[in-house]
Amino acid sequence: MYKVKLEQRERVSNKQELFITLYAIGVALALSGIFIALNGVNPFVAFWKVLLSSFGSTYGISETLLKAVPLMFTGLSVAIALNSKIWNIGAEGQLYFGAIVATAFVLHGPVLPTPIMLTILLVLGAVGGAFWASIPAFLKIKFKMNEVISTLLLNYVAMNIADYFLFGSWKGPDNFPYTVEFPIQARLPKIGFGRLHLGIVIALLLVVVIYVIINYTKTGYKLRLTGSSLKAAKYAGIDIKKMMFAVFLFSGALAGLAGVIQVTGIEYKLHQHISSGYGYTGIIVAWLARSNPFVIVIFALFLSVLLKGADSLQIAMHLPAAVGTVTQALILFAILGSELFKNYKIKFLWGNK
Amino acid sequence: METKLNSNKKSLVQMHNITKSFFENVVNSNIDFSLQEGEIHALLGENGAGKTTLMNMLTGVYSPDSGDIFFKGEKTVFTFPGKALQIGIGMVHQRFSLVGNLTVLENLILGHPDNKFVLDMQKKRKIINTYMDQYDFHIDLDAIINELPIGVRQKVEILKMLVRDVDVLIVDEPTTVLTKQEADNLMDILKKISNSGKGIIFITHKMAEVFKIADKITILRKGEKINTVITKETTARELARMMVGKESDTAFVRPKVEKFEDRVVVKNLFVNSDKKVLAVKDLSFSVKGGEVLGISGVTGNGQIELADALTGNREVIRGKIFYKKVDVTNFPPVKRIDLGISYIPGDRINVGVAGSRSVWENLIMKIYRLPEFGKRLLLNNRKLKEYAKKIIKKYDIALPGIDLPALLLSGGNLQKVIIGREMERDCGLYICVYPTRGLDVGATEFVRQSILKLRNEGKAVILISGDFDEIFGLSDRIGVMFEGNFTGVFENGKHSLEEIGLMMSGHTEAEAAKEMANV
Repeated sequence: MYKVKLEQRERVSNKQELFITLYAIGVALALSGIFIALNGVNPFVAFWKVLLSSFGSTYGISETLLKAVPLMFTGLSVAIALNSKIWNIGAEGQLYFGAIVATAFVLHGPVLPTPIMLTILLVLGAVGGAFWASIPAFLKIKFKMNEVISTLLLNYVAMNIADYFLFGSWKGPDNFPYTVEFPIQARLPKIGFGRLHLGIVIALLLVVVIYVIINYTKTGYKLRLTGSSLKAAKYAGIDIKKMMFAVFLFSGALAGLAGVIQVTGIEYKLHQHISSGYGYTGIIVAWLARSNPFVIVIFALFLSVLLKGADSLQIAMHLPAAVGTVTQALILFAILGSELFKNYKIKFLWGNK
Repeated sequence: METKLNSNKKSLVQMHNITKSFFENVVNSNIDFSLQEGEIHALLGENGAGKTTLMNMLTGVYSPDSGDIFFKGEKTVFTFPGKALQIGIGMVHQRFSLVGNLTVLENLILGHPDNKFVLDMQKKRKIINTYMDQYDFHIDLDAIINELPIGVRQKVEILKMLVRDVDVLIVDEPTTVLTKQEADNLMDILKKISNSGKGIIFITHKMAEVFKIADKITILRKGEKINTVITKETTARELARMMVGKESDTAFVRPKVEKFEDRVVVKNLFVNSDKKVLAVKDLSFSVKGGEVLGISGVTGNGQIELADALTGNREVIRGKIFYKKVDVTNFPPVKRIDLGISYIPGDRINVGVAGSRSVWENLIMKIYRLPEFGKRLLLNNRKLKEYAKKIIKKYDIALPGIDLPALLLSGGNLQKVIIGREMERDCGLYICVYPTRGLDVGATEFVRQSILKLRNEGKAVILISGDFDEIFGLSDRIGVMFEGNFTGVFENGKHSLEEIGLMMSGHTEAEAAKEMANV
């Protein structure tokens, strides 16, 4: 007979926290390996193929980076909110709404020189995303509505608004639900590495900017206090309602940028599938990175490898595309489960006592 | 009515030598307690005296470290939490355990042991009606709990225990959330219940209620049983003394300082508690510079709400607060901080510091906005850390490093961080709430000397404390708070501890003096 006992931990060091995260990823990969094996494929071969497809060629590397770009934006979006204990499950919807607003300008506004055009589109996308996030922000602050529910539900509203235009006035000449191609002025320039575009530079810049804001500004200090304890922040004289609202807006703006980057960087048009769940994957990225902006870059890449890997497994090994989704889900489960180990040590006690 | 204390009444509960500690804190030490049929036995004591813990052991929520519990003469060990209710001991907790969106009837039968797979609601309704007739109080069984006033919800809780045929009913501070009429009504009901032969344990800190309904009173203080007395044979004065203890003669030197103008003036203040009932009612007072106003009282009589209102952390319903002749009633906290109102909160770890942030980040909480610590939006982290280090050195805070998260500090060091932060800011008014609660002797001394220093420097201090050594040692004047207002405000030394104990339980200054003269 043995007994499992949970013992409260005093505190985990950053190093322990990293180990716990890596351990959780390991567990998740092992479990997805079993899932792959059940489909009659050697999981080791499959994982090797995934790595090969992501890093085996310059094309693979550029595509992996390309997919990581929107994840960096949505990861930052979720992380900045999470830092203040706000759950933004609505990055997906904010992404779509940002893209819709930017697209509206491309379709109905003047065609301006590239730098001006792109600046306007980026700003509009950010404003669009921020606007979409302001709805749950208002509901939470004014009526104490749980933001998990409101942000999640608004995702579907945003996607349906996109559909409304795509099946309506924005429908392209060949009658499919996508807009006409954007003019060359409304496309993010390539940076000479596969399809990779300026978006990655913007993302990396934002990472640095956010790091600086958090650590070297008064606003950042307020964010740190608010994130640690609402009561203490209030005690320190911080207007926590205003702070929360600002965090929502900023979080939404970042997700909105992801939308603009997608339509101006790769797709060159608005259609129904500009995001393959980047808003949701961003939640996993933010969790894995424990909201640290630099670590977000690493985990955005990691998740992008998984997303891309799933595609290649589907093509090369005839595995269902769901493998990627399953792996992602397992990672999220494992990470959430590993929270337990952050707060508790597990002890196995032998004997009858 | 026959006397209920005759010996042929059967014993319901006997607790022998009960000891319980949480970590190193002994919360119950060798306590004996007994209850007979038809008896109302009051457990009297201040908050933290160990009343609720003792009862939690009688209901099997905790198990005692040592000591035995007998129920109807049989030694009983509570092997699972539901056992107490099963054998006939029911408790109504301070926080109700009703399901808000169900009806009264549904709540009453929820989890009832007689429930079958198919619920015959009509039959249940009939049974419950007989109970209500028996005890002569009636509640609309179809009303939704959330739509009922607190007083009725309390009755539902009691009825819930009655329909389970408990022999022992424990009610924990049942009148704190009730109006006067509701409280009187409740006590009538409890009387009826005890007349039917059930035993009632009534946990309270209010003297008037004890005299109104209790047959016997057991007084606890700081985890120890002081005495069990028969209500008819005791006086309020005696009870007050047992409840608050003896004056100790810790001497603090309070040199005469020049008293300045009225630094803070509170006029007819009304403040709500979190439960949206009035916690501060029509309170007026003023404090001068160079003066400590000690506010004493049992926890939960509006002290915290008063402190919150003074610092801008709670809305003022009616009334005014003036600081240095400026009406600050509607100023947000940040403006009051800048004006020089300092707050040393009772909840150190959750309010006083942001626990997961470093010590240095916590030390700059109130000054980071000043222009010398960064231009415009930016922060000068180097200067801020220097400032933090200066405080750590000046107040002798023992730390391995300034990057240590505040929550890892010991209670004493944490309080030093908070007090250092606030004293360094040179404010005009200091509001200190339970500043030495849970601290060791050394840290307590540091805090008290710091408060005296503030006073001697001409600051106004409002000291909210439950510690009489502290109140008597530091205060120039003392206000005793009871149910949201002062039952008395007077110069330190005018009244004895016993009198203050009476005022804490609801006597006015005059009544307390009269009570003392009677003996």
